[in-house]
Amino acid sequence: MMLSRHAESLFWLGRYLERAEYSTRMLDVTYHSLLESAAWESERAWRDLLQVLRSESGFDKTGSPATSEHVNRFVMIDRANSDSVSACIERARENARSVRELIPTELWQSLNSFYLALNQRDLAVDLAEQPYDLYEMVKQRCQTVSGVLSDTMARDDGWRFVTIGRHLERAQVMCRLLAIRYQNLGDVSFHQWLAALKSASAAEAFRKAYRGSQDPAEVIEFLLLSPVFPRSVFFSLRHAEAELDILGAQFGRVTRPQRLLGRIRAGLEFAEIEELLHDDLRLHLVEVESDIRWVAESVALEYFRNSHEFAPFVPTGPAPVGTKGR
Amino acid sequence: MTEGLFAGYDHDAFFDEVFTRDGEIRPHYRALVARLGLFSADELSRRERLRDAAFRTQGITFTVYGEGEGVERTFPMDLIPRIIPADEWAEVERGLVQRVDALNRFLDDLYVGEQAIIHDGIVPKWMVLSSDGFEREATGLSVPHSSRCVVAGIDLVRDVDGVYRVLEDNLRNPSGISYVLENRAAMTRVLSLAFKDHRVRSVDHYGAMLLGALQHVAPPAAGDDPTVVVLTPGVYNSAYFEHAFLARQMGVELVEGRDLVVDDHIVSMRTTHGLRRVDVIYRRIDDAFLDPVVFRPDSQLGVPGLMAAARAGNVTIANAAGNGVADDKAIYAFVPDIIRYYTGEEPILESVPTYLLDDPDHRAEVLDRLGDLVVKPVAESGGYGMLIGPAATEAEIDEFRGKLEADPRGYIAQEVVSLSRHPTLIDDHLEGRHIDLRPFVISGEKIEVVPGGLTRVALRRGSLVVNSSQGGGSKDTWVLAPERDPRRPGDRSEGADRERVEGDPRETAQLPVVRADDADAGEEPSP
Repeated sequence: MMLSRHAESLFWLGRYLERAEYSTRMLDVTYHSLLESAAWESERAWRDLLQVLRSESGFDKTGSPATSEHVNRFVMIDRANSDSVSACIERARENARSVRELIPTELWQSLNSFYLALNQRDLAVDLAEQPYDLYEMVKQRCQTVSGVLSDTMARDDGWRFVTIGRHLERAQVMCRLLAIRYQNLGDVSFHQWLAALKSASAAEAFRKAYRGSQDPAEVIEFLLLSPVFPRSVFFSLRHAEAELDILGAQFGRVTRPQRLLGRIRAGLEFAEIEELLHDDLRLHLVEVESDIRWVAESVALEYFRNSHEFAPFVPTGPAPVGTKGR
Repeated sequence: MTEGLFAGYDHDAFFDEVFTRDGEIRPHYRALVARLGLFSADELSRRERLRDAAFRTQGITFTVYGEGEGVERTFPMDLIPRIIPADEWAEVERGLVQRVDALNRFLDDLYVGEQAIIHDGIVPKWMVLSSDGFEREATGLSVPHSSRCVVAGIDLVRDVDGVYRVLEDNLRNPSGISYVLENRAAMTRVLSLAFKDHRVRSVDHYGAMLLGALQHVAPPAAGDDPTVVVLTPGVYNSAYFEHAFLARQMGVELVEGRDLVVDDHIVSMRTTHGLRRVDVIYRRIDDAFLDPVVFRPDSQLGVPGLMAAARAGNVTIANAAGNGVADDKAIYAFVPDIIRYYTGEEPILESVPTYLLDDPDHRAEVLDRLGDLVVKPVAESGGYGMLIGPAATEAEIDEFRGKLEADPRGYIAQEVVSLSRHPTLIDDHLEGRHIDLRPFVISGEKIEVVPGGLTRVALRRGSLVVNSSQGGGSKDTWVLAPERDPRRPGDRSEGADRERVEGDPRETAQLPVVRADDADAGEEPSP
């Protein structure tokens, strides 16, 4: 049990942290993979990245060409981009500050010192001169924060909302990444699939699981359906669902976010990869992504808005058949 | 001691906490001065940097208004602690308990009693009714056990003879306790060795003490485990850090007005499990913003219906509404009589000679001597709107003469108290700076005082204004434990060798020796 406002802050704390980290990972991978690519591939790659981050229309408003320099600045620091990495860290910190008394001091300190460190640097100069250092710093700080988070935070409802936020965010971006890569399947070289793997920090895990495979279908299977890799869509959804189940169990009923998410997860869990590839996979991924967005919306309705001002109905005695379990 | 850090230290004209008038070190400071003698100026400034970094990372900041977008600043803590010997503190503590006891009874008499103190002619009725802090809305609103000031901050200064005097009472929302605890935490990290020479009484039980008191004042119907919350104006308030700090120390929810709803005179908070009943609200917002139904209708910070719920006895608001009447600076002049009236005892703590301006003779005398006196508006806090006669220009004095004549009830005049001074680290050496002390007094089952309190220091040379909003800093305040205290902890090293660290049995290689220097704050000062 916790204040709705606090639950919402923690949910967004999780989402912003995740967003800052994967945005940086993608910049890093794109920047470095382009060093070995033909010039014509460059603009396409940056455009793809903007699409994955859902920042393309925002970027186009700046009127700048999609070059490494401009995209980097936009995604990393541009004030006009409310989802820039520095804005995400600032908002993660603001959310942490508003739940300061609920989170471990060490968590707050690691996030606050991250924020201060970022503000002390001249990010524009860093990006122009040595983007690698900046990417590394952001990634490491994000990992420090999530390490402190999972090592110091009690597994209470607060933890659950952070975790749900992070995993929904992670699953969404992975769906978008796969959809955009798949859309250009014909002319995507395996080099680019490798970049997709790298931006999920999945290249090594993939190699281990698939022994030197160069088959895009297997990359998709891995990033979409792997039950063991922590950044796959299926893995993220299952973890978010597990936390939603614990939250819901306290009410003694299956909540709407549980039902919505359970359906998406089951659709992936019991699908055959051939079946998925045979159908319009891109369209399917777009649908999954938008369904996940609905889950986030229903979490907000169930737990944050609290529009029904009074305690939710809790059945006394055993729950009626068919409302529990799967 | 005139060498090293103390070179050129000037200790005459004021009461100095460390040195007697003859330049002798007072006995309770000898160990500290000897310890400081081991530090080089560089070493101390290195530790100052460590301290600053620690405060910034921890986000121990307050927001400064009126400088563009709200700027987060740290409240500077001087590295040289202030020390109060056990017997001296015992006397101050008795005086504080006596004073707060009398003020609680005074407020209860005014709001739910028969106003006996007015009928008996001790405090004039018009003086009470004309106070900005007197809230008619609080009339008849009782507080369990009459603990109307659950938290009181009583500002003390020491005059030229070292006598403790009450400068003012803060009975509404006194702040600063978080700095007391955080200063101590910081000092134990950056100057840990200095603690070894003393037995310093701890302050970190404050959270438990406050929670106990708040639960004690819960409505009787709340049962054994009342729900306490801290009510904050929100993350942009200058004291937000402290609000979050207190909620964390007590392990209770920190709520904003929008998290609370009142239905049928029951206060509840919005949670992920629906509404949850609240029994005690430790509010850190002013009376005027508490409840738009009875106070300022434009307040977004409060909760509509809160006062009615309190009146129905379903929730306790702490501190109680209307306490401002008792820390009105004109009422201050009556506090010695208030103490005599309710306790039948002589006041233990001295006050500062204070002149009320409604009496035409007093007023004439004060107007004559404005250049020697301090003039304060009765309802302000935070050091705003004051005139310090000896430091003021002719024009400022003339301006105040006009103000006093126009609104005699709005101001008081006091003799200048030459605040005691304490060695304070300024650049690479120590200089005397004026200090005061705000102890925190908790009224729960009994009235208790946290050992010490917040020592504020006026960092500007010669300044008498210690408020954080006016360029003040703070010091860790050490109250020494009495000799032969039965609570003395046992030998800490006991049992240390019984502990074994488990390790990987395959690991046989010798671990490399880690160099301790530069790795952390360091225990020993470098030579």
